[in-house]
Amino acid sequence: MATILPPAPLNRPRTLMVGTAFITSAALMFFGCLFSIYFSIRSDTLAWGMEWFPENAIELVPGGMNMATLSISVATMGWAAYAVKNDDRIHAYLALILTAVMGIAMINQTVFYYMDIGLPIDHSEAALLLYVITGAHLVMVGIGVIWLGLLLLRAFGGQDTSRHRDLVSAASIYWYSTVFIYIFIWLFIYIGK
Amino acid sequence: MKNESTVVERIVTTTESVTLSRYWMVSALIGLLFSSVAGLLVSLERIDLSSASIFSTADDVFQFWTAHRVALVLIAVLPLMIGLATAIVPRQVGSSRLVFPRMSAFSFWVWLFGALIIIIGFLANGGVGTPDATSETQSVALTLVGVLLTIIGICGASTSVLTTIVAGRAPGISLLNIPAFSWSVLVAGTMWLATLPVLVANTVLVYVDMRGRAPVNFGSEAVVWEQLSWAFTHPQIYLWVLPLLGIVAEIISAAFKNKISNPFLFTAIGLTGAAGFGAYAQTYFDIGTPVFEEAFSIIQAFIAIPAVLLVVAFISPKIKDLKGFDKQTTTPAVLATLSIVLLLHGVVVGAVHVIGPLELSTRSTVSAQIVLTLGAGVLACMAAFSWWGELLIGKSISQRKILISGLTFHFGVGIFAVADFLVGFTGQNDFTGVSEFAAGTDGSSWVETLNIISFIGSLLILLGVIAAIATTVQHVLSKTPATGNPWGADTLEWKSKEKEEVA
Repeated sequence: MATILPPAPLNRPRTLMVGTAFITSAALMFFGCLFSIYFSIRSDTLAWGMEWFPENAIELVPGGMNMATLSISVATMGWAAYAVKNDDRIHAYLALILTAVMGIAMINQTVFYYMDIGLPIDHSEAALLLYVITGAHLVMVGIGVIWLGLLLLRAFGGQDTSRHRDLVSAASIYWYSTVFIYIFIWLFIYIGK
Repeated sequence: MKNESTVVERIVTTTESVTLSRYWMVSALIGLLFSSVAGLLVSLERIDLSSASIFSTADDVFQFWTAHRVALVLIAVLPLMIGLATAIVPRQVGSSRLVFPRMSAFSFWVWLFGALIIIIGFLANGGVGTPDATSETQSVALTLVGVLLTIIGICGASTSVLTTIVAGRAPGISLLNIPAFSWSVLVAGTMWLATLPVLVANTVLVYVDMRGRAPVNFGSEAVVWEQLSWAFTHPQIYLWVLPLLGIVAEIISAAFKNKISNPFLFTAIGLTGAAGFGAYAQTYFDIGTPVFEEAFSIIQAFIAIPAVLLVVAFISPKIKDLKGFDKQTTTPAVLATLSIVLLLHGVVVGAVHVIGPLELSTRSTVSAQIVLTLGAGVLACMAAFSWWGELLIGKSISQRKILISGLTFHFGVGIFAVADFLVGFTGQNDFTGVSEFAAGTDGSSWVETLNIISFIGSLLILLGVIAAIATTVQHVLSKTPATGNPWGADTLEWKSKEKEEVA
């Protein structure tokens, strides 16, 4: 008697992860270009013996606080992905909410710093580049927070389970890249000035 | 249940890859027409540079000169390539549909909106600024928004196609087994995603500096083009036309009934892609150690020649045995061969113009190379339309009409390029506005004659584009049904039927 075997399980590649990886790489190139211009003009300005940022304009504390906030969010984002993978819905909610709150806190701190810094955008090339680079990063964090909000909506609707966790994994790739870019902002703009 | 959606709703909300492909290609042809008209007007002005004939100032000439290049890349060549890839790639890799179809549809509409804004920006005395800063600042900002939107659209559509290749392939098809066109799109798309965000960064910097106050540096209208120009010249233009290599390999392979698909060909395409990476070549920011960058640029220019020659080397043995040639495939085979000939000339001119002692880096030779390379891309798309036309529009294709429009376009590009290449040696600048003329050329009768020949080339290019648009419209309106697989080609796209509208 002939036995009809079931079809082999389709090992479907994770399209959302691949797509997010492409878009994240594009975002990295965007910031790569901005940093290249930043270093190029900074080097030129300093070579001419001119001032880059005015004395005491760039404070270490706001950048450091943002870095600490985002560092913690890396752990909470990883926690969210782990919780979804293990169908631990309560912890997934908690981790996603915490990550989103960290993102909002980072945006809040940066906006406060913009108000406080007293450095107009048209002060110099340095000021312009500072606002463009940190502003673009702020937009990236904002998109990440919106994405997390959508994830929460889906999670409350019961759609994020261990079988459908791609959206959470893709969001975590995006979030980690956001933090990765901030490391450069913190090192080269806030610390290196 | 009866489908009550209106025609407009269906047009706007479709996610079917072939329909989206038609939108991309028809819109890109209109963009190509805009670019060709701008190029023709600049060529007409160059005939008599002692006075302004059709433009009032050199800045006006500059506007159209830049419009020609920006439109050629962002609203003609790239969307043509994206349009082809959107329809053909999913079928070639055995995917039931495009991955992220809604994103692909959204990308098209964003791109279209951006393309319209670019055209309006140029017509409203904006564009990408002018050397004497006589353009309207608001219109320049508007054009920059258009540039950003077109790039976002192209990146979104590229991501969709790339993900289809990488993660949407049918089980059992490895990356090294995909057809050459899909491979070339994979390489090109990846490099587009690596370089277009760099152009976005430049544009954002200019835009932010320009808005609301006196610019610090980047937003000055006199330097906008200088910051963006790397994307519209050597070596970056090789990247914009990279899928050409895949198109040619596929057509020649089927025309001579000889399969071309091997890792070496794929490596050669990859090498050409690497040679086309031009995001570093931003002359505006050249400070410090330009010697290294210059050396790198020269090496890269010469790498492009062997890279393209390698591709030709893998294809040419298939052409050797003419007995195997299928006469039915004359049109796509001729157009494909001519396109790679144009590309080869483009990379050679590109290498010549970086040779320091010749002092050609700012001469008309640059223009010759741009038109040769991007023209090769357009011609390859015509060959592709001739080849895959039945899949794209679902109607029978009149090969003779496509051949006539393709040959007209090819001769136009050839004549224009030869004239501009030669006139570059007389010292004529790449941008030959009225005021620039006196400083850059000797004004001899040779120069005038070559400029007239160049104008004739531009005219033929425009005629070729008009003929291509007329042929496309005629085919779309035609009622002759498609014949199936007219070439007997064995790649997967000819064997798949798709039904992919996303609910």
